[in-house]
Amino acid sequence: MKWLMIATKDVKHAFSSVFSLVMSLGAPLLITGLLFFAFGSMDEGQGGVNFTPVDVLVVNLDTGAEHLEGFRAGEMLDSFLMGEDLEEVMKFTAGVSEQDARRGVESGEADLAVIIPENFTSAALTPGESASVVIYQDPALTVMPGILESLLQHFMDGFSGAKIAAGVTEQQFDARGFSADQELLRRVSQEYAGWLESSSHEREGQGGGPLVLEPSGEQQGGEGAVSGMIGPTMAGMTVFFLFFMAANSSQTIIKEDEEGTLARLFTTPTPRAVILVGKFLGVFLILIVQAVLLLASSRFLFGISWGNPGSVILTAAGNVLLAAGFGILLMSLIRSTRQTGPVLGGVLTVTGMLGGLFTTGIPDLPEFLDQARLIVPQGWAMQAWEVSLAGADPAAAAAGFLKMAALGAVMFAAGAVIFNRRFA
Amino acid sequence: MMSADLAVEVKGLSKSFQDVKAVKSADFQIQKGDIFSLLGPNGAGKSTTISMLSCLLEPTAGEAWVMGHSIRDQAPEVRKSIGVVPQEVALYPDLSARENLTFWGRMYGLRGVELSSRADEVLEVIGLTDRQGDAVETYSGGMKRRVNIGVALMHRPELIIMDEPTVGIDPQSRRHILDNVKALNQQGMTVLYTTHYMEEAEELSDHIAVMDRGEVIAYGTHDELVKIVGELDRIDLQISIPEAGMLEEWKAVQGVHQVSAENGTITLLVEDSNQVLPDLFRSASAGGARISSVDIQEPNLEAVFLHLTGRALRD
Repeated sequence: MKWLMIATKDVKHAFSSVFSLVMSLGAPLLITGLLFFAFGSMDEGQGGVNFTPVDVLVVNLDTGAEHLEGFRAGEMLDSFLMGEDLEEVMKFTAGVSEQDARRGVESGEADLAVIIPENFTSAALTPGESASVVIYQDPALTVMPGILESLLQHFMDGFSGAKIAAGVTEQQFDARGFSADQELLRRVSQEYAGWLESSSHEREGQGGGPLVLEPSGEQQGGEGAVSGMIGPTMAGMTVFFLFFMAANSSQTIIKEDEEGTLARLFTTPTPRAVILVGKFLGVFLILIVQAVLLLASSRFLFGISWGNPGSVILTAAGNVLLAAGFGILLMSLIRSTRQTGPVLGGVLTVTGMLGGLFTTGIPDLPEFLDQARLIVPQGWAMQAWEVSLAGADPAAAAAGFLKMAALGAVMFAAGAVIFNRRFA
Repeated sequence: MMSADLAVEVKGLSKSFQDVKAVKSADFQIQKGDIFSLLGPNGAGKSTTISMLSCLLEPTAGEAWVMGHSIRDQAPEVRKSIGVVPQEVALYPDLSARENLTFWGRMYGLRGVELSSRADEVLEVIGLTDRQGDAVETYSGGMKRRVNIGVALMHRPELIIMDEPTVGIDPQSRRHILDNVKALNQQGMTVLYTTHYMEEAEELSDHIAVMDRGEVIAYGTHDELVKIVGELDRIDLQISIPEAGMLEEWKAVQGVHQVSAENGTITLLVEDSNQVLPDLFRSASAGGARISSVDIQEPNLEAVFLHLTGRALRD
């Protein structure tokens, strides 16, 4: 069992080194954590960036339009702003007059004020008419005025349909040699406004407002939304750092050669094959410990669902075999530890990029990249993790495992032969 | 067949690295219970020779037997019977002294209580019982050297091979190591010791092989080796008047074999410096000369090396 003693020593050494701990566990969790906190939240599963809500005074001066009895666009805007959708970022209060709103902002009672003009409804639905919604703001604010302006613009874009409908009607009449009278055009606008109002109520009834504020994190799709972005990101980091640790752990063979302990081991009555097997086993054990800790801690910290347990075990095992084989082969080609810096930093980064480990969160990448990444082993591992994350059953994950295990075995055999020749 | 009282027998042992002949047909024997030194300057082939004897390198030609086992055909048996102390400290720096001893002991097949008690004994021998739990990386250079030796003692080898174990350490640690070597030898262990320090070889060795440029150029006990240059003492003198006048006077003194002068120094080869020196002083005084310095050298390995190679040992 001398091989086990050699392996155990290497595992102990790896996990008592601050560098190894940072690179095997700290870095992948930290990088994923930064993304998680940027785009998600741990606060009761709620998504979104946490802002302190700002106070907004809304003064609705809209008096409606004669030809659109009962319909007031200002009220729609008012009810949208007062709705629950925005309460996490803005607290809206009704104001009485424009002067009242200005004073409120200047005195600091409110951060922002929105003035809906008298002819808002008429301008929103009648071609040729215009009106301005005014925003007053505390000059110290930077982000919220921009958000409010975008919301208002988004809201008012909904009314452009009414104008377009009336404009199209007028053009069609003109094209056929008729003249559309103003009464007809008002009726078209009225019909559109009626539809817009009723459809907005329907959407409200379904839990949504007339304008939709892009939600984020779990509000959009529950747990799956977080995992949808963070899961692949963590998978990419797991693959990258498993390959890194594999190369780093295999490096101990060269390091022991340089420090004389390998030669000293060769003077003991321990066969060289046993010594090398012990060194290789150490690499596997280190990666197994790293993979288990990464999967478990990312599940606990980020709520990542890695998939069916059987699939996860197969994928992790395949990834460990592949990374170990790659690391041992890579290090067998290196002559001294002085060369390992560029190899660890350069080769692993480039192959990691080719394998798509750093572009997991980018949507709509060209399809050919999905195939191109398979030119490096990291791409195989990433593909297998995507299958597992998608909830594939173990039978589906087994294909990925077999591919990774076979490729890993080939690379391991090549590396072992090179090392054996070198030290024979 | 190797004689039973021999620990090592080397016959025509050679090693070449491509075009470089590192060891050229070395021949020597080491008696069981001896301290045997391989003495020579850096690059003489000492480390290559012991690498072959420890089965780390395969010889290009020749054969050697260690404790009756061929280094070519019985490497596992050879490895069991030897303990190797490499020139550079070869330990795991993040492990403690005890953990290092235990790990290496296991590599030699020790287990359980035997392993633990042997580690205690070796820690006592190397004087590190008090600091056995500290990581080796926190030790001084001398302490690391002592652990380096301790590792080779764990399995009680019949032969311990030490490759320049005192290079680059402080005098106190050096003394500790030399005393340890003597103590181990007194316990019956055969020691093969390589060094380029003539004083160490003289102090420790029962037999010495002098190596230079891959060849064993002299082999024997200390006394046998110095006889190569004869048994004459060498006296270097400086006097206050031109030396020419004194040369003939001193040639006539009984016991003086040779007188020569170079760069203001007169060199005499004499049978016994204690008997000759008073006559030299009397003769100088009678001639009106005053001797300002005297340097006496008894025959030593330095002189042997100089005599055989024309170069100083530390070149």
